[in-house]
Amino acid sequence: MAEAARYLYAVARGTEPAQLADVSGLRGSSVEVIRYRDLDAVVSDVPLAEFDEDALKENLEQLSWLEEVARGHHEVVHAVSARAPTAPMRLATIFLDDDAVRRRLSELYDALVEVLDRVERRVEWSVKAVAPEPAPTPVTVPEPTSGAEFLRRRRAQADEREERQDTGARAAEAIHHALSEVSVASRILAPQDPQLTGITGTMILNGAYLVAVDAQEAFAARLSEVEETHGDLRIESGGPWPPYSFATLESA
Amino acid sequence: MTEQGQVAPTRPYSANVGSMTHPQPANLADILERVLDKGIIIAGDIRVNLLDIELLTVKIRLLIVSVDKAEEMGIDWWRNDPMLNASREQLEDENKQLRQRLEELESSNGGGDSG
Repeated sequence: MAEAARYLYAVARGTEPAQLADVSGLRGSSVEVIRYRDLDAVVSDVPLAEFDEDALKENLEQLSWLEEVARGHHEVVHAVSARAPTAPMRLATIFLDDDAVRRRLSELYDALVEVLDRVERRVEWSVKAVAPEPAPTPVTVPEPTSGAEFLRRRRAQADEREERQDTGARAAEAIHHALSEVSVASRILAPQDPQLTGITGTMILNGAYLVAVDAQEAFAARLSEVEETHGDLRIESGGPWPPYSFATLESA
Repeated sequence: MTEQGQVAPTRPYSANVGSMTHPQPANLADILERVLDKGIIIAGDIRVNLLDIELLTVKIRLLIVSVDKAEEMGIDWWRNDPMLNASREQLEDENKQLRQRLEELESSNGGGDSG
């Protein structure tokens, strides 16, 4: 077999080996657990030739490779997080052997425990609000008859655009506030590229909400209220996600 | 220590936990923004700088929430957009100059025709 490295998907707590037996890792590998005290590092082998520094630099630039590995990474994290408190790692966290993994866990033990405590029995929900594209200017509008008229129109268009942005920002704030009230924590993420999402319209809010497992109904109810209040927006929710957006080490 | 509490009661998308034959219905943008930009950063033995990824630095961050937010993020392309505020004066000046030039041409032309 070609030389392998250890790919770290997540650190969890209290997993049972049997729970992960049906989970497969990147490149068809089997998922294993490296234990350090009460922490479980969820790893699998990956071929070093594909995941060493030089190879990664090239591979990460290719959307098809990136997509495959990102989805593979996510599937493992997702499966683990459905079974135990889980702190997801960022993509491509790779060690040369098990001892190196254990060393890092021992160095970061306290911080990792803190993260697991924070996300335990909690899930992440994603809520996006999208303002529809404004209706295009009707083609029957006659050509401007003068320079002044032309300028007036341009100014009106600019004003309209500005007003749309203001309205959008206000709606985003209201929605985020309403959802934060029923969440343990919340974050505003950068709006997504329509080229990746295929979404038309302007994404005015891309929020992540850390919700207690048993508060999800309350969250869903609040979400319906928000949808009703903001009938002019398209509101998309997704989840429960593993707590990616809330797994950060305070001190590392 | 075994904690099973993470299993969620309602789960439109986690319904296929454990099913590895189909990709998650979650869209690629959602997954990428999380696995590339969120999650714990632990320095491994292989050094990788995800910030180098063109996708992350350019594409994912392109769209804008609000002017304030965008300016906070250092994005201000609209300043050079002729449709927008900053260039109004410039446009007006340009327009004035063009009209002046037109008047000059018309008056010199008109003079020639009548003679």
